[in-house]
Amino acid sequence: MTSEVVTSETASVNADTARTFNSDRWLGVAFVAPIVIVMGLLVFGPVLVTLWDSLHRIDPMRPGTPFIGVQNYRNLMSDANVLHAWLNTMAYVAFAVILETVGGLAAAILLNKISWGRRWLLAAVVLPWALPPVVNAIVWLWIYNPSYGLLNGILQSTGLIGSYHVWFNDRTTALLLVALVHVWRMLPLSAVILLAALQSIPAELYQAARLDGAGPFRSFSKITLPLISGGLAIALSQSTVFAFNLFDEAWILNGSSLDTRPVLVQVYMSAFQDLRFSYGMALSVLVMFASLLISLVYVLRVYRETRYD
Amino acid sequence: MRRSLLCRLGLLICAIVLLIWSLGPVYWALVTSLSAPTDLVSASPHFFPPHVTFEHYRQLLGATSSFQGSAVQSVWPQFSRALVNSLLTSFMATIVTVGLAAVGAYAFVRLKFPGRDVIFILVVASLAIPAYTVMIPLYRLMVLLKLIDTYFGVTMIYVSAFLPLSLWLMRSVYQSLPLSLEEAAWMDGAGRTYTLFRIILPLAAPGLIASAILTFLSAWGQFMIPLVFSPTLATKPLTVLIPEFVSRNYVDYGLMNAAGILAIIPPIIVVLFLNRYLVQGLMAGSGK
Repeated sequence: MTSEVVTSETASVNADTARTFNSDRWLGVAFVAPIVIVMGLLVFGPVLVTLWDSLHRIDPMRPGTPFIGVQNYRNLMSDANVLHAWLNTMAYVAFAVILETVGGLAAAILLNKISWGRRWLLAAVVLPWALPPVVNAIVWLWIYNPSYGLLNGILQSTGLIGSYHVWFNDRTTALLLVALVHVWRMLPLSAVILLAALQSIPAELYQAARLDGAGPFRSFSKITLPLISGGLAIALSQSTVFAFNLFDEAWILNGSSLDTRPVLVQVYMSAFQDLRFSYGMALSVLVMFASLLISLVYVLRVYRETRYD
Repeated sequence: MRRSLLCRLGLLICAIVLLIWSLGPVYWALVTSLSAPTDLVSASPHFFPPHVTFEHYRQLLGATSSFQGSAVQSVWPQFSRALVNSLLTSFMATIVTVGLAAVGAYAFVRLKFPGRDVIFILVVASLAIPAYTVMIPLYRLMVLLKLIDTYFGVTMIYVSAFLPLSLWLMRSVYQSLPLSLEEAAWMDGAGRTYTLFRIILPLAAPGLIASAILTFLSAWGQFMIPLVFSPTLATKPLTVLIPEFVSRNYVDYGLMNAAGILAIIPPIIVVLFLNRYLVQGLMAGSGK
């Protein structure tokens, strides 16, 4: 009697499984369909069009749109402005990655150590990330102002400089100052990622290391660094991709000036100012592949996860 | 004992340096926005406004205002319009993005359908596509659909830009929820949809709040997209309007900083009251 009930229940459960499996498929398709439509229409379709158009000459000033193969890409290689913009972007990436990683790690260690007021310190650290980049850039533009800016004022009153500087006259300084505004905004992200990594390290490890006679530097290099390497990789790839896509800060602080022009501003100039649409598109394709390559760390991680579950 | 005191002093100094670095520029913008124009161009910077004035705010929010004795036109008509545009597009983008991500991420985690993994990887990989790669074809598409300078057009572009991060975040939230809960509900005869809306979504609320915050802040701060797709005040947001104060008349830093301070009030409110969710979102959004 009892066993009969159990078997009939199992049978009905099996029937249920079969039923839900099939309805699952349609439910899954229904749930994901809007996403596929939105992303397909507004992202993937346009990307394919860009790829295709970058192989043509599309130029509102000239008639016809002939197929020209990789001519746009070949021209990009010898365009002095484009090369200059790539160098600027490389400089931004170098400045941003170094400052964000070192600063973010320092902030994360401090946040992890501090016991009082941690919630408020964390809120203060995160704040710059939450603000509109344009507003940040405007605030810093005023700080960098050559005649009345805070930077000149502080440096002069502490005696570090004799007279006021026009900061954007020197290319290296200008690049550093634009990068600094970007770092101010993006450092919170590195700090938060690294804080999460630090919090996952069990405290006993440090106690054991101390009992074994390891000093703070030794336990940092032997315990902390290896155990946060995953977080570090993510923080590094994030800061690289974001510095690669720097636009707002350079645009507001120094307009289209060649000294500070990153590749994305170069794309904007080629496409919308010089009206060489397909030429700008070809450059944006290169930026996309470079970004994708850098975030491969990220994408591979997703791939691994989706494979094993 | 001495060492721990020294240690604590060191921590305190580091904390103060970090506070100055993070909040200093915001404080400076506030001081600038409250300073009289004559004090802004004085020889040395003042760390506290010598003569507190609301002149710049009056110019933004008042019907008319006076500037150095003479009456000038207030920018309230443009400012209020842009404020409404910013709020509307950001809220609409948030609602649509979180709605799509809440349902879609569930399907990516729990339901089996053809192409599931490929679609998910493609959508997440699109995080690395710079906005300018799609800008020109997207512009032509929007012209074709007559969606340039419309709330619907701008909102949908925001959704396509911010959906991948929300999906990624919601997926990790669903993955962390125990499967046994759903199985129990299902044993009791509840269907998939019922289980999702009545049992799973309430449990996933912190994740939903986190992705709502991330989406709202990204949309609120967006500049490149509305620069192209919102040419007039019909949909132009604050982020595009404020830099235009540079070209109007002359560079009025007091006015720009005052406008900037008003534009950062919503993000500040979020950071003050919802920072827990924001930090969780940033941590989970970056792969935990």
